[in-house]
Amino acid sequence: MNIRTIGVIGCGAVVQGIARAIAQYGYNVIVKAKDEEEVAECQQALEALLDREIERWGITRTEKKIFLQRIKFTASYDDVVDCDFIIESLIEEFDLKVACFKQLEEVVKKDIVFATNTSTLSISELASHTSRPERMVGMHFITPVHKRPLVEIVRGLHTSDETVEIAKELVRSIGKMPIEVFEYPGYVTTRIIIPFLNEAMNVVMEGVASAADVDTAMQLGFNLPVGPLEMADQMGLDEVLLWMEHLFQELGDLKYRPCPLLRKMVRAGYLGVKTRRGFFTYDERENRIE
Amino acid sequence: MKVLVLNCGSSSVKFQLIETSLEAIKNDTEERLAKGIIERIGMPASIIKFESRDNQPYRATAEILEHRVAINKVVQLLTDPDYGVIKHKEEIGAVGHRVVHGGERFSTSKIIDPDVYKEMIECIELAPLHNPHNIKGYEIAREILPNVPHVAVFDTSFHQSMPAYAYIYGLPYVLYERHAIRRYGFHGTSHRYLTFRVERITGIPRNQFKLITCHLGNGCSIAAVKFGKSIDTSMGFTPLEGLVMGTRCGDIDPAIVLHVMAKEELELHEINTLLNKHSGLYGISGVSNDMREVIKSADKGNERAQLALDIFCYRLKKYIAAYAGAMGGTDYIAFTAGIGENSPVVRQKSCEGLEFMGIKIDQERNNQTVGKEALISTDDSPVKVFVIPTNEELVIARDTVRCINGVI
Repeated sequence: MNIRTIGVIGCGAVVQGIARAIAQYGYNVIVKAKDEEEVAECQQALEALLDREIERWGITRTEKKIFLQRIKFTASYDDVVDCDFIIESLIEEFDLKVACFKQLEEVVKKDIVFATNTSTLSISELASHTSRPERMVGMHFITPVHKRPLVEIVRGLHTSDETVEIAKELVRSIGKMPIEVFEYPGYVTTRIIIPFLNEAMNVVMEGVASAADVDTAMQLGFNLPVGPLEMADQMGLDEVLLWMEHLFQELGDLKYRPCPLLRKMVRAGYLGVKTRRGFFTYDERENRIE
Repeated sequence: MKVLVLNCGSSSVKFQLIETSLEAIKNDTEERLAKGIIERIGMPASIIKFESRDNQPYRATAEILEHRVAINKVVQLLTDPDYGVIKHKEEIGAVGHRVVHGGERFSTSKIIDPDVYKEMIECIELAPLHNPHNIKGYEIAREILPNVPHVAVFDTSFHQSMPAYAYIYGLPYVLYERHAIRRYGFHGTSHRYLTFRVERITGIPRNQFKLITCHLGNGCSIAAVKFGKSIDTSMGFTPLEGLVMGTRCGDIDPAIVLHVMAKEELELHEINTLLNKHSGLYGISGVSNDMREVIKSADKGNERAQLALDIFCYRLKKYIAAYAGAMGGTDYIAFTAGIGENSPVVRQKSCEGLEFMGIKIDQERNNQTVGKEALISTDDSPVKVFVIPTNEELVIARDTVRCINGVI
């Protein structure tokens, strides 16, 4: 199958990251946001993302121009009719995603693959609400998307081998590594990393070591690029809590119970880098200051 | 014989159709029938430029999404009843392909047979940005023109004559054995063309003179050519080493890389882009990677542009003197490519102060020479300095004919 144009549905950092990653490898991208306001927001944020990359020497001004030329933004489903592949990356609400796929089915070519970027919802259940369950696959990107060369390809019960292969090939063609996962709560990455972060928070709550020392210990002791608490701050503590609760509900095992300190911080509005305060504090350029 | 010369880059295909033969090579009477370029392949509006001997130039934009379509377009243009120069594609007698990296395996051009093809694939790891496109171009051209010989001409092969003491780095020798880490040098086809032209201009056989060739384009390299053979060149394992270039840094202390990576918390691809795309004339001047713009700004008093120009010429001068040292003197110097052919200022500044080793530039000759072949040194200059517009395509066409006739 010859994929030239990819539709990305949604707004927000992950959508920008996906659009940017795909455009780099020569694909045309159509980002479909909710309305004109979201379109403008998304467009601005993407430019800012590319500007930050230029500042860090990662790309050149010419490359920025080329990437932007390949990415179109729209608020209308009519503009995705010619797409050869769809990646839906809306917020994690089941009904919203189902509604999106129903609308897509009405306009797009009938044999193309729908990928959904979810870390918690069931691919099989989403697929069963469409008329093409065998063409539905999960594609779990890790944030920040343009820096993490991994995508989990999630197979639902109906997903065909061909669909999985198409998704894997696409992932390889954008310089990332696909790993195949069968549908199960948390897949591989979320299921392993979230309890790791949670345990680091428990260590702080129990007064065993300070947040800074926990991070230093794990970072230097195991050669990690950042420690678990700074990582949680980057992901957003509210997100981490959501994932933890989801794993706890789905799997019922006490080892997935969210750390009370995490709940307390989320209630206080300390959500990590995005609020400039979490386990550490951050300046306006998102650098850790304490 | 009509030879199609193909140069496939990541998003472009450059081509020429050249009428040549062993006889024509001997007499220097080849004829370029057509040339063209398809740029921005894979983008919504690719640009097609085509000029032929017989017809009006052709310009167009079209959606050309991949190299296969582009190379088909090349053949279609060449055979076009209105713009083309041949009636059928069967008139093309051979195809010569530019291949950036030939590693240590290829010291000359080769007819591409299954063994050569396999070895070309193995060279991809040495030039992952360039070789895959060159090879893809070959694969497509072979499908379109299956019954003619295809020849690979490598940018690195001219420099394979370097002695080990010039190509081995001061690193653990085991890295050479394990990963083939050594100096390869690039622009070989251009340096070779200059050697050939100097032989023609002076009438002295190449095995009797010493020559320093300066290829100064967007990428810049300089070579010491002793008795017709490259014995040293400034580009190294990759085209990043040596002279300061448009956006590449050239020689730096390698410890800077480690220090800057730590200080700015850079990842591999970021430091790679910094050195290759954010440095050189562009990085120093903050104005442009284009020497013409840098000189214009410097003339208007922009200090950083002036500094960029000074650094560029100073580095070049050091290399010229070093290569004269390496050869025990030099008889000729030749400048070529965008900057070398068109910038009297750069030529003047980079030879300034080298009178002690016999280099005397004639200012008037130098100033009058833009984009044409000419002598720019004084009549009494012991070292003769030439400007020679390069012609890599001609070398590729010639090697193609020579390979087919078994005289390479």
